[in-house]
Amino acid sequence: MNFVDRQSTARLRSLQVAEIRMKALAVIRFFFTQRGFTEIEVPLLVASPDSDPSLSPLEVRLRAFGSSALITSPEYSMKKLLGKGMEKIFYLGKVFRDEETWNETHISEFTMLEWYETGIDYRAGMEQTRALVLAVAEALQVTHHPLLEVWEMKRIEDLFVERLGVDRIGERSRDELFTEASRLGVHTDASDTWSDLFYRLYLFGIEPNLSREKATVLYDYPLPQAALARPCPGGVYAERFELFSGTLELCNAFTELTDAVVQRSRFEAERRECIRLGKPVFPIDEELLCLLPSVPNPTFGNGLGVDRLLMTLLGGSSIEDILLFPPSHLFGNL
Amino acid sequence: MSSPNDIKNGTVVRYEGDLWVVVSFQRVAPGKGSSFVRTRMKNIQTGKVVENNFKSAETLEFEEVSYLKMQYLFSDGQTYTFMDNHTYEQVEISKDMIEEVIPYFKEGLEVTISMHDGRALAVALPKKIEYTVASAPPAVKGDTASGNVTKEAIMDNGLKVQVPIFIKDGERILVNTETGAYSERVNS
Repeated sequence: MNFVDRQSTARLRSLQVAEIRMKALAVIRFFFTQRGFTEIEVPLLVASPDSDPSLSPLEVRLRAFGSSALITSPEYSMKKLLGKGMEKIFYLGKVFRDEETWNETHISEFTMLEWYETGIDYRAGMEQTRALVLAVAEALQVTHHPLLEVWEMKRIEDLFVERLGVDRIGERSRDELFTEASRLGVHTDASDTWSDLFYRLYLFGIEPNLSREKATVLYDYPLPQAALARPCPGGVYAERFELFSGTLELCNAFTELTDAVVQRSRFEAERRECIRLGKPVFPIDEELLCLLPSVPNPTFGNGLGVDRLLMTLLGGSSIEDILLFPPSHLFGNL
Repeated sequence: MSSPNDIKNGTVVRYEGDLWVVVSFQRVAPGKGSSFVRTRMKNIQTGKVVENNFKSAETLEFEEVSYLKMQYLFSDGQTYTFMDNHTYEQVEISKDMIEEVIPYFKEGLEVTISMHDGRALAVALPKKIEYTVASAPPAVKGDTASGNVTKEAIMDNGLKVQVPIFIKDGERILVNTETGAYSERVNS
């Protein structure tokens, strides 16, 4: 291989990736502004990041303030703006998660699209999500992809019956799920909570069986799996959906439940869990709790991984394929 | 007692009375709640492979394992022989214990061997391995609309990899051994 060839390949790759990203980000902005949304910026550096113990915010020590962190999602800031009366907003920018390991689908800095619209629920939100995905595909001249075909719509309750023979998943007690897991030969632990057992069954029978050749929407999660989503009629399931391309999760969406009392008790439970796990504990975002009651119901919210969407649309095998500066180059061979 | 978070390829776990060697693992987390380690493990007596998901907060019983850097020497088709470069000591592993990684072997490859109770149980590969492309026929111009412009190439050890269309015979590339995917071209 000669020197010029190498140079031109690197240059070509940079040009291609830059163009793909520019086109995709431009069409996303056009999609939302055309529909009356306002693009908003949120602080990346905050005192109170998401307190979910399964997420690890990147801690930053500030000379002026002390402990702070980079946001894992723009959710808190965006909900504050909804509480202040904004109705249709979107954020397109970076978020950070201190992942324990990086791989083809997880890195610590990635591009997130998050949007909220008051007055619509997750049904309308699904249509909106599909229109967005089709618009991005069109801008990138993608003509063949499972995301362009009809999406398989699967209720969580029906999938558990179909794949595992477990009916009425949302109504089952923790002990009943434990028995079902044992029946299926799924590994369990005495400390398992209801949600742990649900997720064990999900990992065993649902996720591995998602069609590789199709896009699937999983919807109506049991309440404990969607604590801040509006309950469906009947009160056992809640209005949450996730979109998958094959087995790759692309987004997580809710008809938001904006109950400050529930939110406070969840924050407190999460803080206790963080302390138990020895994770850093950040102050509760009191401003968010003050503004939450002013957020109208219903409000639809969706968070979508832009890098993952581009990767799957363009047939890549790793997020790095569509990054101008792949982390494995920045941080050495992973 | 150990945490599932400390699982590595080649870790030997005592689970339900048997000894199992970890073949592959991946951390997975639902949107909310505990995170899990999805673990494929092989029974060291029967060779049976199972997949278990361990919650990060669980405790597991790990067996003491020593990890030795060794070099792949040769195979007779049934057993694979490795050598310690410092002591020149050789160990053998039967084919069925390491089936998943065999396609990546090439003479002289440096690997990490898990030794338990005097027995070699598992081979951990480097995350990326360099190969020379033995054969990469020019791609037929097809549908490039999906952006998925790759073709099959055969490496000097027989490994088949999907590579970008610009890769030619005789070039050296890095292959990701966790996914089997092309990683990048090696500049000389």
